[in-house]
Parts: sequence; structure tokens; C-alpha cells
Amino acid sequence: MSETTAFVAAFILYIVSALFYFFYVFSKRDKAAWLGYMAAAVGLIIHSAALVIRTIQSGHAPFTNMYESLSFFGWAAIFAYIIMEGKFKIKKVGPYMMLIVIALMALASSPLMPQQSQPLVPALQSYWLWLHVSVTLVGEAFFAIAFVTSILYLIADSKEKKGITTGLSSQNLDSISYRSIAVGFPFFTLGGLVFGMVWAYKAWGSYWSWDPKEVWSLITWFVFALYLHTRIVMGWKGRRSAWIAILGFLAALFTYFGVNYFLSGLHSYV
Amino acid sequence: MKSFIQVFSSVKLAIFLLIVITLASILGTLVPQHRTPEEYQAGYGELSGLLMRLEITQLYQSWWYVSLLFLFALNTIVCTLTRLGPKLKQTFTPTILAIPKQITRYREHKKFEKPGDLKSIGTQLRHILKKRHYRIKEEEKEKIRYVLAQKKTLGLFGSDIVHTGILVILLGGILSGLWGFRRTINITEGSTVEVPQADFQIRMDKFVTEFYPSGVVKDWKSTLTLIDSGQEQMRKTIEVNHPLSYQGFVFYQSSYGWDWNNPRLDILVRETGEETQAERIQISIGEKHLLKDSKTEVTALRFVPDFVITEGNRVATRSQQPNNPAVYLESQRNGEIIFRGWIFSKYPKFSQSHEGGEQDTSFVLQDFQATQYSGIQVTKDPGTNVIWVGCTMLMLGLFAAFYWPSRKLRFQLIGSGPRTEILVGGTSKKGREEFHKEFQSIISELRRSQ
Repeated sequence: MSETTAFVAAFILYIVSALFYFFYVFSKRDKAAWLGYMAAAVGLIIHSAALVIRTIQSGHAPFTNMYESLSFFGWAAIFAYIIMEGKFKIKKVGPYMMLIVIALMALASSPLMPQQSQPLVPALQSYWLWLHVSVTLVGEAFFAIAFVTSILYLIADSKEKKGITTGLSSQNLDSISYRSIAVGFPFFTLGGLVFGMVWAYKAWGSYWSWDPKEVWSLITWFVFALYLHTRIVMGWKGRRSAWIAILGFLAALFTYFGVNYFLSGLHSYV
Repeated sequence: MKSFIQVFSSVKLAIFLLIVITLASILGTLVPQHRTPEEYQAGYGELSGLLMRLEITQLYQSWWYVSLLFLFALNTIVCTLTRLGPKLKQTFTPTILAIPKQITRYREHKKFEKPGDLKSIGTQLRHILKKRHYRIKEEEKEKIRYVLAQKKTLGLFGSDIVHTGILVILLGGILSGLWGFRRTINITEGSTVEVPQADFQIRMDKFVTEFYPSGVVKDWKSTLTLIDSGQEQMRKTIEVNHPLSYQGFVFYQSSYGWDWNNPRLDILVRETGEETQAERIQISIGEKHLLKDSKTEVTALRFVPDFVITEGNRVATRSQQPNNPAVYLESQRNGEIIFRGWIFSKYPKFSQSHEGGEQDTSFVLQDFQATQYSGIQVTKDPGTNVIWVGCTMLMLGLFAAFYWPSRKLRFQLIGSGPRTEILVGGTSKKGREEFHKEFQSIISELRRSQ
């Protein structure tokens, strides 16, 4: 099995999973949600195989260009979602989460993203590449779940105000957002900021250089710190919390993509 | 003083500062930092003066950004300290007595009766709680036994550890800013240089560039020897991501380049007179070379690796890469200038701004060699270790705050005869489901125990 075959197979399974999940939302048949979950899980296994093959063939961590890192981000998002659904039974989040993953996979396979693996430039030849990128992206995957549940919260909340109840109560969605951030925040702090500083110190000789990507990861961190403080100390919940979580994920996305395309700096690899 | 504490203990201030610092930081990523006034003038026009006056062009080092960070640190200190006192009291010198209402107010609470006198039930309870790693405090008053059990109290201090970690990181940043130093020194193979701000030297024994088969650079490696008081102390090959540390100094492989001030130039001189003859000579900058005909002299006056003509019609080098190497030559025959101008390695036919009349002599820059140097970044940063301590505290604190929820149980055992009435209530900072399970299992075990 080649890496491309595995990648495409996983991509197809994610699309199948999304279809089952959407069928579940409209038909309310639990069986469909279960099939969606299984398709995603099998997709994850095959996707893992694709990443392993890529690592063996290129001889380095599978996130050194945009194709690789988008694919890994998609993998992490599925991984995070499978854990969260297994624990909190949030089937209704499934279809929208799968849409995000499909968007990531589609972007990864688009011709805009060079897929050819390149030999590592000297600065990336470090095991910190593994630690820094994978832990950060896993953290951001949990932020992605909070993003989806926060949007669903806003929808559910306005429906409930009109007296319409939906599958997952708004209160439930609010709490899932918080729980996702409670997982994502320590991961993001460790991978993005702490490991990033350690690696910067080893490679560039300075743990902090006010590089745009560094500043944007700090901005993302500030937004989620704001989420936690307004919620825990000031008791904010619901709509305002949901909006902060949405902003936080958008900041994380900008840190991940935007900085590379709109701002220039040291992080010019991916 | 009191109003000072009131202002700085406010979480609202913390949130306000967090928002302002976030917005300021965003601004700093939109305006390129640390450029020259000319670049700002070109990019922003009239706005550039304002940007520079407000120090937006070096925002993260500006007095106002640093002041915001300082206020934020002060806010964090006061917030943390004012909330620490009650938490410490609650943990180390808690009130053990509790009125029933206090217990029934907890999310988990239960009242039941079981056979057994106060003493034996107290023993059973202690056993059950100890098994679950609770720390127990007891007090008896008017035939009622009060029991307070707590565990994972570290979780209560998670946020304080996080805040302290952030303050330690800021402190590390201040130390780096005040006493950290960073300089790049270019060393050619075989030479020894004094390490800035240190009393030892480093010698570059070997510098190699490794390539991938495709021709892309794989790595730069410098073999360095540390010489302290005339003694060779240490020898190590450093490469990107693998620096060398010695006495608080760290040496990084940072760049590379060529010493273009002293290149060896191979020049082909061709005379097309009655008799065509060519002579290949090797010269350095400033060196006069007499050709075999004993009457023609050639001098190389200047060399640039990447020839460019700037706005002021002056010759400069665009980069340190040998993209367009050129040499400024002068040639005299019998004291008369026959040639003066630039010759280009890549464009041998093209010679600019000739001076001199005779055209029967041409010059070609055939080869050029310069010593390659390795750019070694030397740093000494007393803040670094402080930063790592802060980072460790930050992570430990986050873990404690999110995944080490403190739990508390309060009991009232009332009984003077063979039966005892038990009132129990408890709370957990987080993880309600897990705590609910533990609470239920404690009650059922206490009911069953003999």
C-alpha cells in the first residue's frame, strides 16, 4: 500500500463518515451515527498508516510542509473527536467535525500544496520537530472541537429561546466546549509555547524572538486564558464563552496558516 | 495602599489588560518591526513618523508595551496573593466544626443511620477514608464527632502555580533583557578568536558544509576547540540544533560566508597585437603584478561578490553570495593606463566604463577563491534557566488545576447509644462524575462495614 492510496482511502472514509452522521442528524437513527463513528475510526487507522509510510519513506517527521501538516492536523482532529465522542456521547457534533476534517484533507490534497517531500533543512533536523508540532496540533484539534460545539451552542441556544429543543442541550454543548478547551489548553501550552521555546533556544539561540508566529501563538494563548478566567472567576457561560472559544480557534488557525501567508518571519518552513 | 490593592486585585483589570496586550501584540505583527526609517517612509509615508514616535516600529520593546506587561505582572501578583490566604487557611487550618446546613449545601450529601457506637464508627470511617488517601481532621463537641477529609489539595493551588510560573517567566525575560548578550562572530578555519565578554578563546579547527545528493545544503558543521588559560579545554563539532555550552556561554552554528576582502583571483590577460598571446595570473587585492612582457602591470583594486549599482551610481554588493562576482582592474603599460574598469566573471564580454585607449588587451576573471568562514553565534543568557523553571511551574500548575481536582468531605457523627446517625456531604473542584462515584462507594462501604 502506498502512502497516497492510504491517504485517499482515509479521505473517502471520512466523507462516508460525514454522510452517515448527516443521515443520523436527519433520520435520528442511532445506527447511522454508529456507522459514522466506525467509518471515522477505520479512517483514522488507515490515515495513521499513511503517516507511518510517509515517515519511513521521507525519513523525517510527517509535518514539514503544508500537505503533511494539514494531513496530520486532520488526523489529530479525528483522534480528538473519537476520544471526545467516546467519553461524552456527542454524536450530534460528528457531522460538523467531519466537515472540518474533510476541508483539511481537501486542502492537503489540492494542487496548491506541494506534496513532494523535501529533505530537511538544517534547522528542522531535531527531535523537537516531532514534539513541538505534534503536541501543538493535538491541542489545536481540541480547540477545533470547542469551535464546533460553540457554534452549535449558539444555534441551540437561539432555538431553545424559541422553545425548540434539539438533540444536545445548549448546556451540554457549553460544557463540552469547556472540556475540550481544558484538554486543548495544556497541550497547546506545552507544545506550542514551552516546546517551541526550548527548540528555539536550541536552534536559534534564543527562546523568544517576537517572530510573528511566536506572537500569534501567544495571542491564541491569551484568548483561551481569557476564556478560562471569564468563565471560572467571573462565571461567564453560554453565548459570551462560546464567542471567545470561536475567536480562540480562529486565532489558532491564523497562527497555523495565516502567519505563513500574510506575515514574514523565522517560521518560514511550514 | 488599600485602594492600590483593591485596584490590582480586580480580575476585571486583568481581563482588560489581557485584551489590551493582545490587541497591541496583533498590531506588532502587522507593522514590520526593527526596519530602517527609510523603509517605514517608503511603506507608510506620512504615517511613518507617528509609528516611530509611538515606538510601534519596535513595539515589543517599547516603553508602553513593557509598562503594560509590568502592570499585568503586578495585577497577577496581587490577584494571586489576595486569593492565596483563604486557600491556605482552608487547607492547613480549616474549621472542622460544621452546622448541618453547611453539609447539606454540598452537591453530594446524605444522611443515614447504622448500628454501632460513635467510637467504632469513627474508626471504620477513618479506615475507609485513609484507604482513599484522604487527610483527616477530627473534633468532638457535645457528643457530636466532626470529621473533615481532604485530598488532592494541590489542585486548589493549580492556578496559583500557573500564575507564579508566568511571573517567573517574565522575570527570566527581564534577566535576559538586562544581562543577556548575543553576538555573531565569523571565524575562518584555523583561526583563534577571543570570545566576547569572556576570558577564553575558541579556535575553528574545521568547517564543512554537507549537501544532499540534490545539491541542497544538509548541514553546516564547525569543529571548535575551547582554549582557556592556554589549555585546550574541550573540542566539539557543533551543527544547527546542536550547540556547545561552556561556562554559561553557548555557541551556535548560525551562518556561513566568505571573506571577500581577500580573494585570490585568477585573471587571464590576452593581448591581440601582432602576436596573440595569453597569460594567466593569480593576484590578490592591492597587489601589483608585472606580466611576462616586463612592461605591463596589472592591479586588482576591488572585488565584490554580487555586483550591483546603487541609486547614487555607486558600486556595492547585493549580498554575500557569489551571484555576480566582479573585480575592478587597472592595467598600466610603460606608466600609461591602458585599462581601468570592472570585469565580470559571469559576463566576460561585458566590461563597463573603460578607461584607457588601447583595446588590444582584454581581461577575463576566470576564477576566484575566498576563505569560507563559519558564523558562530555566542550567547550568554542568565534568564534561560529561570525561563525553564517558570515553564515547568506553568505546566505543573495547569495539570494540577485541570486534572487534580481537590476534594473535600465533611461528616457529622451523632450518637450516644448503639446506633449512630451519620450526615455526610462533599464537594470536588472538578470532575463531578468521578467524585459522585467515590462518594457513593464511601457511603456503601461505611454502611456495610462492621
